[in-house]
Amino acid sequence: MAEARVERVDEVRAGGTRAVFAEFLRELIRVREQRWGNLWGYFFIAPAVIMYLVFQAWPIVRGLFMAFSDYRWLVRETHGLAGFNGLANWAEMLTDKTFWRSLGIAFKFSLMFTPIALALALFTAVMISKVKNGVAAGVYRVIAYMPVVLPVSVAMLVWGKLFHVQFGYLNVILKKLGMQNPPNWLGSPKMALYAMVVPTVWFRFGEWTLLFLIGIYNINREIYEAAVVDGANGWQQFLRVTVPLLKPVFTLVLVLGSGVVSATVESMALFGGTSGGPGESALTAGVYLYRTAFIHGDMRMGYAATMSLLLGIINMIITATVFKTMRTERA
Amino acid sequence: MMASLSRAIVRNLRPRSVLVSISLIVICAVCLLPVVWTISSSLKGRDELYMATPSLIPRHPTLANYQWMFTRADMSRLPLNMWNSLKVALGAVVIQCITATMAGFAFGRLDFRGRDLLFYLLIVLMFVPRAGGLMALYELMEFLHLRNSHLGLMLLFPSAISVALFVMRQNFLGIPRELEEAAIIDGAGTWRVFLDVDLPFVKGGIAVVAIWEFIYVWGEYLITLTMIDFPELETVSLAVTKLRGWSAHFTSTILAGYGAECAAYVTAMIPVILIFILMQKWFVRGLTEGILKM
Repeated sequence: MAEARVERVDEVRAGGTRAVFAEFLRELIRVREQRWGNLWGYFFIAPAVIMYLVFQAWPIVRGLFMAFSDYRWLVRETHGLAGFNGLANWAEMLTDKTFWRSLGIAFKFSLMFTPIALALALFTAVMISKVKNGVAAGVYRVIAYMPVVLPVSVAMLVWGKLFHVQFGYLNVILKKLGMQNPPNWLGSPKMALYAMVVPTVWFRFGEWTLLFLIGIYNINREIYEAAVVDGANGWQQFLRVTVPLLKPVFTLVLVLGSGVVSATVESMALFGGTSGGPGESALTAGVYLYRTAFIHGDMRMGYAATMSLLLGIINMIITATVFKTMRTERA
Repeated sequence: MMASLSRAIVRNLRPRSVLVSISLIVICAVCLLPVVWTISSSLKGRDELYMATPSLIPRHPTLANYQWMFTRADMSRLPLNMWNSLKVALGAVVIQCITATMAGFAFGRLDFRGRDLLFYLLIVLMFVPRAGGLMALYELMEFLHLRNSHLGLMLLFPSAISVALFVMRQNFLGIPRELEEAAIIDGAGTWRVFLDVDLPFVKGGIAVVAIWEFIYVWGEYLITLTMIDFPELETVSLAVTKLRGWSAHFTSTILAGYGAECAAYVTAMIPVILIFILMQKWFVRGLTEGILKM
């Protein structure tokens, strides 16, 4: 009985967000008929659940309310319930040019970052999977994954040094290759956002590589052998066997990486704070809402929560779309 | 020996495998370049850093940058920041391991009313957008007097328990029931079963959870930045972002801000890189058992 229930949980989880939510509601009803069972259970989950409720669940609830109030941290009168202002934040957001510009920048950044990182990760994974020598493959795996474990701020700052106009190694290489005036990577409004994509891809693609690689290693060798017997060349094997069978990993990677990547930390570390780079050309929505809430004026947390909620809704829509497309294509 | 090696090389010299090797070597070089460049810069003196064509290998390596970062307490807080990071990361690791192991045991092994409901609750919340999460967190931590406190960070980071919980639950599910039943017949209670029978089996899972949490907390930036106002409480991943612009008021004639900053970056990277290289097999386990399962 208990075993069957455990398997059911795994099954539901594999079904995605909606399945989990539906099962959650069904479970609400079912619990009334259950016996209390082993009371030690509550003791064992208590620390985790209490910490989860206080530090994870409560901020979500509170954040929802905040999004509909004119909450300013430095103005006492707007604290608590007093700040409630209905849809005023949303009306303000509609006409806030900086916000829409920053949202556009975030979209532009995601549209550059996600495909590049995805393609690079898939390419690297396929290449590593072709290496027959176990030790060599291990070395490649470690090196490709290494940037992921670095602190994100350090990863960005390291690139900041590399990007330095005069003393950075990147421009040294470019000069050696014969370029007369190598770009001022982080200093010009034209380049800054593109320059930010490079370290972000560098920092994150290793994780996806490893996920793809685990997926590839799990594909049954016999399927490839059958494909070879049918006369498929390497490229056909990749398109007809590898890609379709990696669909779950694609879904996972797209859910992790798509959506509006707010690139908050990246921008803040590369450009030294919430300035958003030269001419605010790298001011993503995340940075804008961070500085609205914590840096500028009287810390308008309510308005920042509104922007944050809109970002969350957009991301949920994108995630749902990813799940949906990946599912219909499978059928 | 040599003959067989050269035979192996020749055998592998088909055009396809050469292509594979070249592309992988290029990718790995790009992965390593920023780190190598930073290490190299951190070993250079002022003269060499400001040379017209700097080289990747320092010609006159010196540890002066590190010495400066670690001994000039009036200008650099690097040792203190490293200590803060270590303290917060280890505290969070211990708390996370305890809570995740206990909860994993309960969710994987015990039968009690509402067990699955609570488990779904933990998953469902993961999908809800963290609207205003950081702002609400700021208010909450201020209210609890946990802002500007390392204890606050140590409690905050392990509260995001989902991945660790999956890993631990999976580990407990893998233990054969018969062992527990034998212990129960011998009169062991739940507590005894947990400590004496099951715990030795999930050591691997605990290692995975500990390593992932350590790496996560060591590199965490945004929450730490929001919760910590005082420089003497900053963790190293936060402190390195404030070194910028030193070069302008740098007094030493042999060192340059560029080199000293690189020394700080290298110091901040060393612990995580070491842990990663020494314990990489646990990383793959964490990915397969945690993230891929979710």
